[in-house]
Amino acid sequence: MAHQRVALWAAEPDLDDINDTDVDIPIPMPSSTNEMYDDPNLQLDEGSLQAMQQHIAQQAAFAQIPDVVKRFIVHFHQAVLDNNLQEVTLAYESGWTRLTEKYYAKTEWPEAETIAPLVNDDQIFLILYRELYYRHVYSRLQPNVDDRFHSYENSCELFNYLLNSDGPVLLSLPANWLWDIIDEFIYQFQSFALFRSRPASKTDDELTMLGSEGGAQAWSSYSVLNVLYSLIQKSRANEWLKARAEGKSDEEIEEIVGEYGTKPLYRMLGYFSIIGLLRVHVLLGDFTLALKVMENVGLGQKAPFTAPTAVHVSTAYHAGVCYFMLRRIPDAARVFTGVLTWVMRARQYHTRSYQYDQINKTADRMYALLALCHVLAPTRLDDNVMNIVRERYGDQIGRMGRGEEGLSTFEELFLYACPKFICANSPPYDDPTALASMLIPPTPTSPSSQNPSVVLGDPTQRHLRAASSHFMSLTPVSSLKSLLKLYTSLDAKKLTGFLDTSGAGVDEEEVLSWMMVMKNAGRCVGRVNTGSTAANGEKDSDEGSRPSESLLSGEWMSISDLNFVIDQNMVHIAESTVGRRYAGWFIRNSEHAARVLDSVKASPLPPRIAPTQVQKKSADGPKGEGAPRTTGQKVAWGGVKVA
Amino acid sequence: MAATTAWLSPPSRTELIENLVSGVDRYNPSNVGILEDYLYHQIRSEEYDCLANLAILKLYQFNPDLFNPDVVINILLKALTAEPFPDFNLCISLLDDRPPNSALDEPDPLPTLLPLLMNLYNLLHQCRFSAFWVLYRSDELEVIRENYTVECAGFEDAIREVAARSVRATFTRINSERLGTYVDLTGPELEAWVAKQRWTFDSSTGVVSIPPNPDNQIESVVIQEHIKLPQLSKVISHTVQVK
Repeated sequence: MAHQRVALWAAEPDLDDINDTDVDIPIPMPSSTNEMYDDPNLQLDEGSLQAMQQHIAQQAAFAQIPDVVKRFIVHFHQAVLDNNLQEVTLAYESGWTRLTEKYYAKTEWPEAETIAPLVNDDQIFLILYRELYYRHVYSRLQPNVDDRFHSYENSCELFNYLLNSDGPVLLSLPANWLWDIIDEFIYQFQSFALFRSRPASKTDDELTMLGSEGGAQAWSSYSVLNVLYSLIQKSRANEWLKARAEGKSDEEIEEIVGEYGTKPLYRMLGYFSIIGLLRVHVLLGDFTLALKVMENVGLGQKAPFTAPTAVHVSTAYHAGVCYFMLRRIPDAARVFTGVLTWVMRARQYHTRSYQYDQINKTADRMYALLALCHVLAPTRLDDNVMNIVRERYGDQIGRMGRGEEGLSTFEELFLYACPKFICANSPPYDDPTALASMLIPPTPTSPSSQNPSVVLGDPTQRHLRAASSHFMSLTPVSSLKSLLKLYTSLDAKKLTGFLDTSGAGVDEEEVLSWMMVMKNAGRCVGRVNTGSTAANGEKDSDEGSRPSESLLSGEWMSISDLNFVIDQNMVHIAESTVGRRYAGWFIRNSEHAARVLDSVKASPLPPRIAPTQVQKKSADGPKGEGAPRTTGQKVAWGGVKVA
Repeated sequence: MAATTAWLSPPSRTELIENLVSGVDRYNPSNVGILEDYLYHQIRSEEYDCLANLAILKLYQFNPDLFNPDVVINILLKALTAEPFPDFNLCISLLDDRPPNSALDEPDPLPTLLPLLMNLYNLLHQCRFSAFWVLYRSDELEVIRENYTVECAGFEDAIREVAARSVRATFTRINSERLGTYVDLTGPELEAWVAKQRWTFDSSTGVVSIPPNPDNQIESVVIQEHIKLPQLSKVISHTVQVK
């Protein structure tokens, strides 16, 4: 037995993985096996026993891996080694998901150590494998605190490898994967922040781990930001975007971005990191900075390369949230609508990948936010997206329009739709007394009270309060609006009388305040866009937005169609209406008719049925308009010819 | 001139601050002193730089031991004067929870003052100007008045400016008494202030006239369709082709 044990030892390269850290006695060489049985080395005995047990366990686990999976891993590894982008993409997108569904839907994939022999211990591949492994754990299963720390370490190793090797790394990974890496990194950070901000329900083990030195370092905001900023700087993504916007030639661009930026791997990582920064800043509550980092990217759908859909969706969602919290409602609504139309159209092209569910969930949240935008700043957006919003949230919108009672609905929708904001700092796990004092339940605060007591606790609550206060200030506006619509001029006293239906003593001063609020609500800062179709009939500024203009800039624009002015005590009202819009419809349909006509004319003539019919066809051919009527009964565009 | 240009980069911002705000240095905790000094400069000279103040709050977010409640209160007061920009809300968003800091010499005034500041903000946001002044002059807020706003040069004038913005947009003519309650001025002071705003004060009727501006001139507009030639180009070119 001893001999056997020795032999296994000598063959096992990763003895350092022994969990028993008490063993500081170096593993003895086979020649000193007899000392194992002595007392001082009793610990070593346990250590070696554990190592052997572990090895046996690993071998058992290895044997349990289905052959399909083993082959897949080998194939995957080979593809990564060969930098065969197509194969890697295929393996990543379909292979991995397929096998997950089949074998690992409820459990974890085999550990990296277990499959190490299959890939000859290629550390790089193992890092990538672990990245996928932990992503699976986070998405399908519940990560425990160990998982969290290990995934952080793994991410650090990965980024270390990418950033600190001598020169750019010769890996070639698909864009989807790169985006998922960044996305997942931030998601794990967010998840950890949420996890650590809840000290109340932690086990002792978790508390010690969190309080330890490593625990404070893991997933710290600074390190996350550091990674993202380093990626951006290394690949000079910002300079690249600027150079592209200015239309520089390829050689000049290469010069500007340096050796890292020319590699697609780094370029994409840099670009995705910018989006990642946007997201992190939103999660930490810094909305202006979030928009500021997106300066060079802009919000159009023209990504510099075919970025995955998830990128656009994530960008738009977070940018929209920023605008919403900045109270620039029309900008938020425009961003949401733009991306939602695009998603609707592109929906059929998506693979059923990890990103698909994400995109759908984000789209749902955007619909909810659009409903909120509509309540805060009603505009006349009558298109597909708004119809869907009305379908889903019609009665909520109605309830919110009725004033104060709508507050709970507003809060509900906001809490559903907003990102899970996080706190930058952790509770003081290293200081047990401070931690205990934090756990004393604070005085309960009802979020719907208008004068909230100070509980700077859950960040989401803070942001909710900010949004709610804005909503509350706008509650009188809807009733005012409905009244004012009926008049061209109205005395303020009369108006007070109308509003005082409940006899609650609404006085004139209050009404005037409401009027000023309404006036303020009717204007807000919005981005001036020459290409925008939502002409409000007011100053149509053609100063335009150069592509390098910051996302934060904008003009005061009017968003309300009901305008009024107060002349001492008299209110004068003017309403703007929209004339009938028929041109767009007609143009679209004429173009469609033209296309149909072309396709009919281009299609082969039906076979000869009878000589007379054929003659008629050829005679009518050049006349164009007459052709459809004679060739077939299927054409239904009779109406167009009337015009 | 874009409305937000001044808000984004005020002309009073020096290059040093500009680099700090726009670069990665803003995360460096040792730079907090520079930004705080800049804040005090703003307080003393009636300037306002929103993004730099937000940078200070962000540093506090990441380094809770740097937290200085006086600075925070000053930032919030400055943000009050920036209505209708959403600055106050942005500042609140960055005020994270922090563990009870025993390193401070005096008890943390922020938790008591914050609700008062939020009340002030709500009143301003809801355009209840007279109530604002009442609250502001009350005993509760004495602490704020004594310690903070007295140092902040032109705080009250800035609040009056906020009121003026709303009034300018909503009224063409307004009773001077009413205006007086909005800006907490009476008699000759009020007249002087009105003159500074370049509004005309008719002392016989006691009515202040506000000159026309884009907001208080209203007219009924029918938004007509604006068809441009390029939109028709496809249809027209197609007809030409067919013939």
